[in-house]
Amino acid sequence: MIGRGYDPGRDENAGFLSVRNLNVIYTSRKKIVHAVNGVSFDMKKGETLGMVGETGAGKTTIAKSILRILPDPPAKVLGGEIRLDGKDLMTLPEKEMLKVRGEKVAMIFQDPMTALNPLMTIGDQIIEGLKLHNDYSDVEAAQKARELLEMVGIHEERFKEYPFEFSGGMKQRVVIGMALACEPDLLLADEPTTALDVTIQAQVLDLINKLKARYGTSMILITHNLGVVAQTCDHVAVIYAGKMIEYGNKKDIFIDYAHPYTRGLFASLPGFNVDAPRLKPIAGTMPDPTDLPPGCAFHPRCPYAIEECRNGEISLKEISPGHYCRCCNLQQIW
Amino acid sequence: MPPLIEVKNLSKYFTVPAGLLHAVDHVSFTIEKGKTLGVVGESGCGKSTLGRTLIRLQEATDGTILLNGEDITHVNGNKLRDVRNKVQIVFQDPYSSLNPRLRIDDTIREPLKNSGRYPRSELKGRASALMDLVGIDVRLRQSYPHELDGGRRQRVGIARALAMGPEFIVCDEPVSSLDVSIQAQVLNLLMDLQDQMGVAYMFVTHDLSVVRHISDQICVMYLGEVVERCPSKELFVSNLHPYTKALLSAIPSVDINQPMQPIALKGELTSPINPKPGCRFSPRCPYARGGCSEQPQRLEEVATHHYVACCRVREING
Repeated sequence: MIGRGYDPGRDENAGFLSVRNLNVIYTSRKKIVHAVNGVSFDMKKGETLGMVGETGAGKTTIAKSILRILPDPPAKVLGGEIRLDGKDLMTLPEKEMLKVRGEKVAMIFQDPMTALNPLMTIGDQIIEGLKLHNDYSDVEAAQKARELLEMVGIHEERFKEYPFEFSGGMKQRVVIGMALACEPDLLLADEPTTALDVTIQAQVLDLINKLKARYGTSMILITHNLGVVAQTCDHVAVIYAGKMIEYGNKKDIFIDYAHPYTRGLFASLPGFNVDAPRLKPIAGTMPDPTDLPPGCAFHPRCPYAIEECRNGEISLKEISPGHYCRCCNLQQIW
Repeated sequence: MPPLIEVKNLSKYFTVPAGLLHAVDHVSFTIEKGKTLGVVGESGCGKSTLGRTLIRLQEATDGTILLNGEDITHVNGNKLRDVRNKVQIVFQDPYSSLNPRLRIDDTIREPLKNSGRYPRSELKGRASALMDLVGIDVRLRQSYPHELDGGRRQRVGIARALAMGPEFIVCDEPVSSLDVSIQAQVLNLLMDLQDQMGVAYMFVTHDLSVVRHISDQICVMYLGEVVERCPSKELFVSNLHPYTKALLSAIPSVDINQPMQPIALKGELTSPINPKPGCRFSPRCPYARGGCSEQPQRLEEVATHHYVACCRVREING
């Protein structure tokens, strides 16, 4: 379902979300940051897609492009197509986009401390969203908000408290409750558990999984934690320097991983190979996004790089049904 | 020979409006030369306070700290300066722990200069030897911290800690703000330095897979207290305290055939202010009985070198 030259109009199974050739840059006075460089993917209803990659790979920018909440300037969407349930989100008038946000697509941000308004009670913040998208009376909205709090495991007596009175885990649960308030079709979860401790992370992941099953919500889970992806996602996209370099189902990525970068990620994980005395990190660091190397952006760090990797565009190839990899030297690696 | 570091009943309390906050409560352990003690626990369990108190950035409320058998708990003046040469720290946040207005090589030169141990002419050579050691590129040495990425900044922090040839370094979450591939580079560097220089670490982290990789011994902390202490390998095979079990079960595994089955803990951390005398984990513990919340828990050696603070440890693991 991914790759160049793909035409969603011709494919009747084109998923419920389809992103085609998305390109986003950030401009400053002197430089241009190439944040997202031709990302395409499809999602079915109810599916969970994990998006992994390092800081600055462009994961959050992709999610924000779907909601059209990138600040312009400095961000600029250069092209591409985003369709949700057949509707083209790129050309939708802002007025209709307001209905998509929160009602059809909701986002959970990484930092629950800054995602909530510190001057409003938790209850009022949930009510605000509910009333914006539904014709609820004050009483109905308050009733619904209390139910939502209860659903994410927070006692309703805390309804009138302020965010500072909540712990990090509870705040993230409030944010999840708010995101699910209008029963969105698609949930964009941007590092939803990164700021939390492992025992609280387990509670929050469990909650997200339960709610997803209950409402049939699709989800894009952005994270750099491969363990979280292994435990929650159906499909995985590995992003490097704004490009999808590998895509497949969970087994394709976690067992039959192919791209040298994906290999490097797994070899870097402490605890993955318990008995090895030293980890095998990927050499070097992420390339400067204002000055990406030609060819494969990973080639300066890649132990398998050949001349071909340094020139021209490397295409995303299907290496087994549904498993895609952007590498021109796979034969030699295997 | 006495161990490099010996801590006996170390406590650190903070006075807050609501009472006395027990950040670290009666913690004891030893660290041998060239070895690593991992300290794990969730936010607010006192692991960072323990590290800072241990190297005298904060005054201990109670207990003793011995360095090579010598009591350093209350030393001052020149004695304290000597201690600072031997014990150092690498901080969690490489962004805020470097002076933004000093160039990298000045940052590393500063402790050398302040020690008064080396003539001015030697400083430059020593600083660049340190930067070679931690792998900072020659072309970056005149840069300011904001020009470097997180991994390189953390290398600067490590070089600065190594400047005076310490015997012991507290590493307070040194890799938790780094991406996995960079994290692996820094962990390897720390282990290489230990092999070369025989420095001992206390490695404070919330990431159990990191601590498993780097530590010889592990302490698990909960609300200021050590609840389990044992050799690192043993902890992941036979963990005995209910909190350790819950903590380990909550780590999402990268093995897709091994679904996560976290032991559900009730609620969240209770308050460390004026704690009750009994087990601090009991309000969340799935095995807790009436007596647990009243009876003080002591670390007890339940197997060779394996200490657990739980009065029901034998029943639970029986």
